Amino acid sequence: MNPDFTYDTARLNEVLCESSCTVTAADVERFRRLMGYPETSPGQLPVVPPSMGLTYGLRLGWEHSIFPPGVIRMGDDDVFGVPARAGDQLVTQFRIVEKFERKTRKFMKYEMRTHNQANEMVCSVSFTALIP
Amino acid sequence: MMTPAITACSGEKLPACEIRITQELIDAYASISGDFNPIHVDPQAAAASVFGGTVAHGCIPLEPVFQAIQHWSGAEALPPDTTIRIRYRAPSRPGDVIRADAQVAGEKFIDGRRSIEITFVCVNQQGERVIDGECDLVL
Repeated sequence: MNPDFTYDTARLNEVLCESSCTVTAADVERFRRLMGYPETSPGQLPVVPPSMGLTYGLRLGWEHSIFPPGVIRMGDDDVFGVPARAGDQLVTQFRIVEKFERKTRKFMKYEMRTHNQANEMVCSVSFTALIP
Repeated sequence: MMTPAITACSGEKLPACEIRITQELIDAYASISGDFNPIHVDPQAAAASVFGGTVAHGCIPLEPVFQAIQHWSGAEALPPDTTIRIRYRAPSRPGDVIRADAQVAGEKFIDGRRSIEITFVCVNQQGERVIDGECDLVL
């Protein structure tokens, strides 16, 4: 596993990787359908549900093999900024902000912060994970 | 027209929202999020894990919380600077129906801005708590 991401060798509070994507209307509709949101009216641009913001960091984490298999998410501290819209170009940056042991178990706190093309924060997702 | 968020009273309940968990939903969420952790998508591997079977990504049983807040506030997006603290208490599994019960806990002022505190609990069909947390809706 990449030493940037392991408990013993991870550096804290540095951007360890990032990804970018363009939000498409099709992606948004797919998410909305999956989660039971009403269909977007014809001629309207679909609104990105806030909960879709949680997927950007997850995708980054798994694409870069940051999270060890079997990792268990314990809790989140999330902040939401401006809503994302279809057509936005989003950049998500990944940091490890904390690591600690409790009762012989190891935990890491990951932060995935997503900005749009105007450098406005869309969301910051931080979650504490139990490392297997 | 004033939105419910502006007229919020402590103890006011938000509309209850729920989601039915299926393996198809979990698999589709894995595809969207890129999270193919075996505990979510590999029944054999998950059966051998501490969970004894596949479990949903945490964001899936959390979804009714977002929808409850959005229905209540009448807005499709959360106001900027909204924060949510979440604790995952128990796994959600295919076949579960997760309901979010949320209510206004109070209000406070942060840097001169009014903030409505909402507490929420997500329970499964057996009444078991799977998620709880708080949301500060900054107006």
